[in-house]
Amino acid sequence: MSNAAPLLDVANLRVDFPTPTGTVHAVRGLSFTLGRERLGIVGESGSGKSMTGRAILDLIPPPGLVTADRLAYRGQNLLSMHRTERRHLRGRRMSMVLQDAKFSLNPVATVGHQIAEAFRVHHKANRREARERTLSMLEAVQIREPAHVYDLYPHEVSGGMGQRVMIAMMLIAEPDILIADEPTSALDVTVQLQILKILDDLVTRRGMGLIFISHDLHLVRSFCDRVMVMYAGKAMETMPAAELTDAAAMARRHAYTLGLLGCLPELERPKAKLATLTRDPEWLK
Amino acid sequence: MSTQPAIAVSHLDVRFGQAHVVRDVSFHVRDGESYGIVGESGSGKSTVLRVLAGLNQDWSGTIDIRGAPQPKRRDKAFHGAVQMVFQDPYGSLHPKKTIDDALAEPLSIHGIGGTDARITRALDEVGLPRSFRFRYPSQLSGGQRQRVAIARALILEPGILLLDEPTSALDVSIQAEVLNLLQALRVERGLTYVLVSHNLAVVAHMCERLLVMQLGRAVEEMQARTLTARAPQTEYARQLLLASEGFSRPSV
Amino acid sequence: MMTTWSAYLRSDAPTSRRQARLCQLWRRWLALRGNPLAVIGLLIVLALLAVAMFAPLIATHDPIAQNLDQRLRPPSAAAWLGTDALGRDIFSRIVHGARVTLAIVLLVVVTVGPIGLLIGASAGYLGGWVDRALMRFTDVFLAFPRLVLALAFVSALGPGIVNAIIAIALTAWPPYARVARAEALVIRSADYIAATRLLGASSWRIVMRHVVPMCMPSLIVRTTLDMAGIILTAAGLGFLGLGAQPPLPEWGAMISAGREQIFDQWWVATFPGIAICVVALGFNLLGDGLRDVMDAK
Repeated sequence: MSNAAPLLDVANLRVDFPTPTGTVHAVRGLSFTLGRERLGIVGESGSGKSMTGRAILDLIPPPGLVTADRLAYRGQNLLSMHRTERRHLRGRRMSMVLQDAKFSLNPVATVGHQIAEAFRVHHKANRREARERTLSMLEAVQIREPAHVYDLYPHEVSGGMGQRVMIAMMLIAEPDILIADEPTSALDVTVQLQILKILDDLVTRRGMGLIFISHDLHLVRSFCDRVMVMYAGKAMETMPAAELTDAAAMARRHAYTLGLLGCLPELERPKAKLATLTRDPEWLK
Repeated sequence: MSTQPAIAVSHLDVRFGQAHVVRDVSFHVRDGESYGIVGESGSGKSTVLRVLAGLNQDWSGTIDIRGAPQPKRRDKAFHGAVQMVFQDPYGSLHPKKTIDDALAEPLSIHGIGGTDARITRALDEVGLPRSFRFRYPSQLSGGQRQRVAIARALILEPGILLLDEPTSALDVSIQAEVLNLLQALRVERGLTYVLVSHNLAVVAHMCERLLVMQLGRAVEEMQARTLTARAPQTEYARQLLLASEGFSRPSV
Repeated sequence: MMTTWSAYLRSDAPTSRRQARLCQLWRRWLALRGNPLAVIGLLIVLALLAVAMFAPLIATHDPIAQNLDQRLRPPSAAAWLGTDALGRDIFSRIVHGARVTLAIVLLVVVTVGPIGLLIGASAGYLGGWVDRALMRFTDVFLAFPRLVLALAFVSALGPGIVNAIIAIALTAWPPYARVARAEALVIRSADYIAATRLLGASSWRIVMRHVVPMCMPSLIVRTTLDMAGIILTAAGLGFLGLGAQPPLPEWGAMISAGREQIFDQWWVATFPGIAICVVALGFNLLGDGLRDVMDAK
């Protein structure tokens, strides 16, 4: 891990949504740092993990409110920045890969056009340069016929290819931080592995920081360096990924993490009945 | 328990226009057994289930339920004996009908009386509080809706339950509760299950035997313990097993 | 008393079907109340109903009493909105005309809505030859401009307000069938419909009890959008002498009667016109608000 200023420094992040029936606290006082490493954020639905990713990129829709004691990218305070400055950072320095390319790619523009556009928004380049960059990026995500795929529309590509396209689009401007929000959840299990290998390769080679948001504890454990477990908007605990399967470290685990681990069916260790999670009201405080 | 298989499928073939979605699939499910069908998207597993349920009529081959060959259009007696639970808890309940309406409907269609008692018993059996009876689906969580779907499927007391990815859309902690519920109900009532899923761990946990499908074909049929012993015989089944074990980082 | 009602309606755990429906109605009412435009629409519609109900009490003069001395007088203390070519008080005619307008609109909607809904929902859900046959039947009616077809029917049936209503109804139902069919096409692939088929429900039962309720929101909006069109079609028929027969104070007929004097005695045609605009707007706003409230899952 680099010993310069952390890529991302978050202290006491809060995301609130005022509604007619009271305020919904999606994220309640979350703190963490991110260096050039992979941080996995795990949680169930409603844990606030997706909201955290979007808050960092200033993508929370109104009436949502984002507040924090500190939300800094390489020492620069994101919250005190002007909206346009933050927009410049988005895509260029920090970007996000979403779950389903079907819903996150523009259906009326070709795939190549969208990736090239992503490049030209952040770098001065003419159409030819942007196209070349796009083609090399498509190769980097292991698409075998980049020139052919360039002209396809999003509905003409399969799920796995769509995710590769999205990764290409989000990495072409060479950001420092990538936030991946359930990037493989909508894919078949064999395709998942391919996509993860690509992500692994690119993130390592470019020395990026990665935040991997998922509901799949085992996936995150195998892919990331550190894991943060969230519940009801708060982090229950953060630990090195290896500790999740280390029997000796189990004693240190939070009850919620143990509960999540216990309720999963496992191929190697058949259970007669799956453990169920008893939610301690203390966790909501 | 009779020796006749509960379900016997022979040379099932399904085409949607040009697409050959299920190719020559045969299997049988014993009475009281829990049988899994595993595959990725495009494998045809959900189509097989829908054909078994009678939702789809473009098939050829034979389907026998307890020895009786089934026609394309099923009758009420069939629906009283075979029921299904769908994948999406947010889509399987009519948004404008209360739980009470949803549970009373099957009773009304089949002319079964004692509605009140049966509905309260159904709610008890799936672990839903009776106070939920007159709620609308929008007032329930995903797990609760799935319990209602199970209650609706079981209120006619069928012998066979078809489960189409019943927990794929649920959080893991809720999945555990629903899977436990399904196990308990199967034992209590001596039901026969056919469970379709893409998740090998869920299938290995819930089922005794399973069929692996790929691109419409039956690739391999095996015991669940073959999976747990990591000894499938075909290449594809091995690949699937390897992929479900997660990612291994070369760099670390 | 109020607190027990309030608790009853806000209950999270209704104990009977009736309570569940009342709670839902209450929630929808709260949602509607929160939409200012919908409230305006509701007030306008309620005002129309009130004026129609209490017309004899509200009107200042007899709507059909002619007073040729007072022809074409501008608005004054004696005649609030002026008088028309036969000296009849326009205000009173508008007030009584509310009854006629309401009757036309409600009768058309009440016949046309259910027919269109049933035809469209059945066509959309059942598909196949039923769909084709019903839609071709619908196309026949859609092919004619509404006024022309209404004219043909009225000519055959004879002039008069009742025949005008029948003629308008016969021409107004096709769009409802189209809307209902479009909704039904989407609904029929939903899991809850498949689940109901699996219970052994007949197609009739599914269409009536499961598909039709889901088509209602779009249909309500369509209906309210149509209100103005229905009033104007009645007016067109009235102008040709084939709709409301004089001296019936139908707003559309009043406008066409005042056409001749539009520049010099503008009040004869303008006030009925304003009445139509306001009522049509009211129905539109209410309909939009109702659709938002009913769509909420």
